[in-house]
Amino acid sequence: MIRFEGLQKTYGDVAAVGGLDFAVEAGCVFGFLGRNGAGKTTTIRMMMGLLEPSAGTVRLGGHDIRTAPEAAKSLAGYLPDRPYLYEKLTGLELLRFVGGLHGLGRAEAAARGAALLAAFRLESRGGALIETYSHGMKQRLALAAALIHRPRILILDEPMVGLDPEGAVELRTLLRRLAADGVTIFLSTHSLPVAEELCHRIGIIDRGRLVALGTLAELRARAASGERVTVDGQHPSLERVFLDILEADAA
Amino acid sequence: MTLVTPRLWATRNALHRHPGRAGALLALAAAFWGACLATVVRILRYFHDVGEFGPLLTQRLLLLVLVSFFVVLLISNTVTALTTFYLADDVSLLLGLPVSHRRLHRGRFVETLVAASWMAVVFGLPVFLGYGLVYQAGASYYAATLAVLALLVVMPTALGVLVSTGLVLVFPAHRTRDAMFVGVGLLVAVTVGVVRMLQPEQLGDDSGLVGFAGFLASFEATGSPYLPTTWAADVLLAGLGVRAGDALFHLGMLASTAAMLYCVSATVVERLYLRAWTRAQTGRVARGGERSLATWLEGLARPLPRLRRLLLVKDLTVFLRDPSQWSQLLLLAALIALYVYNFSVLPLDDGTPLSLAMRELAVVLNLGLATFVTTAIAVRFVYPMVSLEGRAWVVLRTAPISLEQIWWSKFWIGYVPLLGFAALLIAATNGYLGVPAGLTASFLVTLVPLVAALVSLGLSFGAAHPRLDVPNAAQIATGFGAIVYMVTSLLLIAVVITLEAWPTWRLLRAARTGHALAAPEVAGVVALYGAALTVLVVVFVAARRSGLHALARLPL
Repeated sequence: MIRFEGLQKTYGDVAAVGGLDFAVEAGCVFGFLGRNGAGKTTTIRMMMGLLEPSAGTVRLGGHDIRTAPEAAKSLAGYLPDRPYLYEKLTGLELLRFVGGLHGLGRAEAAARGAALLAAFRLESRGGALIETYSHGMKQRLALAAALIHRPRILILDEPMVGLDPEGAVELRTLLRRLAADGVTIFLSTHSLPVAEELCHRIGIIDRGRLVALGTLAELRARAASGERVTVDGQHPSLERVFLDILEADAA
Repeated sequence: MTLVTPRLWATRNALHRHPGRAGALLALAAAFWGACLATVVRILRYFHDVGEFGPLLTQRLLLLVLVSFFVVLLISNTVTALTTFYLADDVSLLLGLPVSHRRLHRGRFVETLVAASWMAVVFGLPVFLGYGLVYQAGASYYAATLAVLALLVVMPTALGVLVSTGLVLVFPAHRTRDAMFVGVGLLVAVTVGVVRMLQPEQLGDDSGLVGFAGFLASFEATGSPYLPTTWAADVLLAGLGVRAGDALFHLGMLASTAAMLYCVSATVVERLYLRAWTRAQTGRVARGGERSLATWLEGLARPLPRLRRLLLVKDLTVFLRDPSQWSQLLLLAALIALYVYNFSVLPLDDGTPLSLAMRELAVVLNLGLATFVTTAIAVRFVYPMVSLEGRAWVVLRTAPISLEQIWWSKFWIGYVPLLGFAALLIAATNGYLGVPAGLTASFLVTLVPLVAALVSLGLSFGAAHPRLDVPNAAQIATGFGAIVYMVTSLLLIAVVITLEAWPTWRLLRAARTGHALAAPEVAGVVALYGAALTVLVVVFVAARRSGLHALARLPL
């Protein structure tokens, strides 16, 4: 469903993303992990056509984001790392607007918008200007906007940031349900417990390169083969695996 | 001082990042400053030569300047204090630090004073410098001027802090700011109208200055003895040697009043700040009127294709809910009224050969002037269009629509009202000039590609110089890119006017005399109009291409 083909982004001599080549299957929740500045957000921006790759491309549902961006974007919902929205629109107006951009009719966009507002506990604020929303409310509204056209691919950049505990639990439940319905989820996060709980496969990026890729079990096995991992017969946590893989890569 | 350093460092970093821009802006400001000084010296020299009335008129003019200066500073400081004390994003950061309210007041006070007063002081200086030059004042006058200005700017800042604090305690801060934006726009529009009615163009000849002197003579002779502006005038006039006065006493009055007002504002802020800031966080819910506005716009745009309708309704809703846009619209309405009024009072009807020549000149220039006014409006409303998307640009860029569709949407939103506006302006002013209908129609035909090129340029420059983090459109329109856009547009207009001047003049002459153009003349007219059209099409296409390129590279 998502295929990276030699995706690169360089700034002068610095390779922000250096040649990503892998695929994410339909219905998979894929965790994309890495330190700050590792290249996660740059990769996601190239996936959504927000940044021109230096080389290579990404295919969403078979559509090349460089040559057929509209077709590729119509399949995807995107939640950026910070929820920038039109502050002078109301929550419901924003959802109707985004729904309209995705080709929904007025009535359908309004109905789906109202349902999403209710699902994200925003129905009482649907008529309020977005400039009056808290960060967490904007985050929930941005997620609702990403879902209004019922995308087959959901690309989330740090979705848990700013959410209250109740919102975080709801989001995890929602992501599990969407994955069960066949939606492919590409999840960039710093929250390793969330990745451990939700992700079927995990990729770890460091200094622009993919240094590990596989299921959690595969990554544990790989980390355990290194000398520094001591787990006393127990499964190491993803956090331990993550750190060991990065340390091994740096060495 | 610590609390002001982030602002100082940000300014220093901006200057280091774009030294060329800072230099260009400085050169423009210096040119404007020099022109102001020359005008002031010209007016003051006239008064100086009036004889025994001179000192009286000078005194009244100075008082008028000081009162205006104080009122401008008071308004500017109140609006700025509302933002720096109660709406700025970094206030919450400071409140979380071990910073006392007194210290916070001190830091924000300095920030408000500088932000709200620097422009008035810099462009007010030519007036005071002009007085010194004309009256050949000594060093004591200049020292007194600096002291008076320093004390005079403190008072409006203190009053502004007090007024904004009071307003925030009574009304929600966002509503107060919205009302202020519209109120200030209205005030400026009225002021522009009043100034125009004084017919400042007549200051160019002595009879005009006599009329202006009459206006000054009707102005309150001495001013209230309780007003700081009166004390300031007394100090300065004594320094000039225009009249004897108790300069030291009045300087003391200014200093003690400034100190007293500063202390009062510090005490009020220290005691009430947390309560006022808490109230300032009050949210804002879309009122019934705002919701019905969006519904009404949707109904109005229903005949348009789906995507164009969506983008149009979104852009108009955002635009009309921004009160800073309303204040600009009010100012714009005043300027348009003045433009048309100016043509109604042109001395073109005395039947002399000179007036006939002036009329022909005015007809040719009218196209340039009207498009110049249109460009000024485009700088304010078209240029900021891309920046006003702000960081929400990501919403459009991740939607399955192309950059071309977004560009065309913005183009039509800018083009249709601007073309209508320019056409109305030309039609109305040509009516005053008695231009034949056929020629006016040819002007209107010229406007179609000319306004298209101007809008295309506006979008291109706006995308190439984005200010996505600046929410205020008026502020966006003061950036470096806006100035370059304005200059480029004026060059384009100059080229078009140059190409069209001769054919327009020939057509006008032919219409007046009733003689048909000879074949070579017709060929010349067609060739020159064709050349103007070609230039405009080339500019439109090139600007559109570079605009799309800049949109694709817009930082997120």
